[in-house]
Amino acid sequence: MVVSIDFFGPQRSLTQTNNIAMPINEETRVTDALIYVKNQYPELPLDERMVLVTVNEEMASLDRLLQADDTVSFLPYICGG
Amino acid sequence: MDILEQMEYAPAGVAGGYTDRILWIDLSNRKLKIQELPPDFKDRYIGGRGYALKLIWDGTTRETRYDSPENILVMAGGPLCNEPGFPGTGKFIVGTISPLTDTFIDSNIGGHFAPLLKLAGFDALAVTGRSDEDLVVVVDGDAGTVRITAAPVYDEETDKGSLSFGESLLKEVNDDEFSDSVAAVTAGEGARHSRFGIINSLYYDKKRRRIRAKQAGRGGTGTVMRAKGLRGIVVRSGLPRGNGNNAVDREGVRQAGSQLKKVLSTSDSQQLHLSAWGTTVLSEYMDRFHLFPINNFQYGQTEESPKVFAEVFLNRYFSKNTPDGCYYGCNLACAKGAEDVTLEWGPKAGTIVGIDGPEYETVGAVSCMGIFDPQAVIEYNWYCDEYGLDSISAGVTISFFMEAFERGFLTAADVGYPLPFGDIEAANRLLHEMASGHGFGRIAGQGIARGKQWVAANHAARNGHTSEETLIELSKFGMEVKGLEFSMYISKESLAQQGGYGFALKGPQHDEAWLIFIDQVHKELPTFEDKANALRWFPLIRTWFNATGLCKLPWIDVRHPEAANTPEPAKNVPSLNYYVQYLNATTGSNKELQDILNDSERLYMLQKLINLRQGKGTRASDQIPLRAMGPAFFNEYEVRADYYDSWLQERLNGDPAPDSPEQRHQLLIEKRLQAYQQLCDVVYAEKGFTADGVPKRETVEKFGLMDEQAEKLLAEFPCEPNTPSSVEFPETAGIQRES
Repeated sequence: MVVSIDFFGPQRSLTQTNNIAMPINEETRVTDALIYVKNQYPELPLDERMVLVTVNEEMASLDRLLQADDTVSFLPYICGG
Repeated sequence: MDILEQMEYAPAGVAGGYTDRILWIDLSNRKLKIQELPPDFKDRYIGGRGYALKLIWDGTTRETRYDSPENILVMAGGPLCNEPGFPGTGKFIVGTISPLTDTFIDSNIGGHFAPLLKLAGFDALAVTGRSDEDLVVVVDGDAGTVRITAAPVYDEETDKGSLSFGESLLKEVNDDEFSDSVAAVTAGEGARHSRFGIINSLYYDKKRRRIRAKQAGRGGTGTVMRAKGLRGIVVRSGLPRGNGNNAVDREGVRQAGSQLKKVLSTSDSQQLHLSAWGTTVLSEYMDRFHLFPINNFQYGQTEESPKVFAEVFLNRYFSKNTPDGCYYGCNLACAKGAEDVTLEWGPKAGTIVGIDGPEYETVGAVSCMGIFDPQAVIEYNWYCDEYGLDSISAGVTISFFMEAFERGFLTAADVGYPLPFGDIEAANRLLHEMASGHGFGRIAGQGIARGKQWVAANHAARNGHTSEETLIELSKFGMEVKGLEFSMYISKESLAQQGGYGFALKGPQHDEAWLIFIDQVHKELPTFEDKANALRWFPLIRTWFNATGLCKLPWIDVRHPEAANTPEPAKNVPSLNYYVQYLNATTGSNKELQDILNDSERLYMLQKLINLRQGKGTRASDQIPLRAMGPAFFNEYEVRADYYDSWLQERLNGDPAPDSPEQRHQLLIEKRLQAYQQLCDVVYAEKGFTADGVPKRETVEKFGLMDEQAEKLLAEFPCEPNTPSSVEFPETAGIQRES
């Protein structure tokens, strides 16, 4: 089982890819995905206090269990100009 | 330049952020006057938008239109404008009666103009009257003079442009050299021929070694300027910018500014990256969440969108590693620009230009026309600035006519050529026609509200319908409220943002309440009560920024790490506390956050009263097009059917949804219409309005605004006994939880 972790704009610029696949099991949670990305890209700044986590484009908590084929994103908070 | 009138004056010093002076410029009689403000004026009206509101309330009537001599064009910074020790302090407000909405419009604008105006001794300037001859005003704080001169004549092309005229003007008044001690505002040819003319704020960027421009884009302030016969205003001051506000507590200002700058420098690079990417970074996020306007807001996402994502502009156009603040001391520095761009289309094809932008809104305006060519975006950006046209209103208006063409309401014969979505050549042609006032541009330049009437009349005459029948159809997708075109976010999936657009006093511009992500993605506003609270709170704090001379982005678009530990993270109160500290240190006040919200609410209510007087202040004026609420046509429903069906099912309380997609679409529309009306009810109650959206007497009295004019005005809107305070939040779970 895998999930996709998507990268946007500045993240993609640094990772040089639109997304990566991450293997999961029945106990894998969003926080594991965050750690996975941090390990894969140590230079990518991902402070959990400053990112909005979405799973399948819905906001998600860090302890949410992931399911096969989920799409995970770590987004900035956007509140408008 | 031929001097027609000159006044000598001793510039007032700045104390605690204020000079307590307004410069009045009467163009009809070519008279200049300085108004000394009484001590309580700043306490009640703060500055910026507040000053503009008070002058317009007192100095105009319900008969005043944008081109009436008595209309006032106000430009005002605020007490916190002009402090390089704090980020984002170059902002000022242009306020006037709008040619699009016929009521008060305020548009905020960056650059050096307001800081220099303050150093030259004025908190604001107010332009009245009209001149048949084009004029220029020069405020020279160094020489202690204000002059009204005949507008200089350069050459035909330069004189048409807002940017090129302004550059020549800035050189002429400064011995043929650019200087950061001189700044200007100008309006161009497009502002003469359309209702959505902008004012450019021009300043010398020492790093880029050229004149740069920011824009007061919304509502036609440039059109008012040109209607007055005013080509430009130049201001000069060689006084130092540091501690330009002569703060009461200079160390307090330094501390507040340094704390906010630290948040920006450490957190922006983990969030939006505005300092490196500019606001174009938003396009991709908007597209991902179906918020990016495509084909006149029909769709929010397309496979073509990546062609105009930020990386394209960053890699192909933007200068990299260039600090791009629009005023000194801003380390968010989001004002991206490009150098040495060769124009490929239009009357200036082959010319090499420097371009300021594009911002997200301009990218969205072009995608709204179904165009995904980055060169088209950046050229559209430059031409709009040079012509002096609002890139938002121009793009949304062209998009409306494109859809009217594709749906058969408008013909190629009407326009003079086919006008389908995605046709760069046709879009460019119409843009140039709007600027020059030729061809169909004369119609399109009037904006959507008036354009709808024109299309309806012509279509009805051709097809034997009544004009009213056609107008109903056009109003489903004519994206305007109160006469102003929508800014570039799709609100179909966020009821809170539908209110953010519908209740916005100036019309649907997002700077009053941008709640889409908070509502649609963050899910922080699940109930009607939450939405109503946000639709009261955000406009108040955002109004305060517009009254004080501050940019909102350092607060709202870079979340403080500690905000996560607060009850309402989206309000970013930890950063707001730095602003309160900055205010108190500058002016010597001792205010808390709630105090500044209360101050701001007075201004909000005054603007509401002006709207009421001008015929744009009741519930009827807060209604939004069907497309802003949901899928106006079946094709829009089809592409997001899963989402819409899920939304509908949640509201059927277990009842089955209709079998056919067409019936589900119809029922969805009914539910959306109901939801918006419920939102009106709860928001009006929250704001202290009657069910018709009129401020209650006690609301007006609470803020000390019940003057003779307000008394007479409110007497025209008697409260119905069972409506004013009877609206309560819906209690049943199915209604209360909107999403």
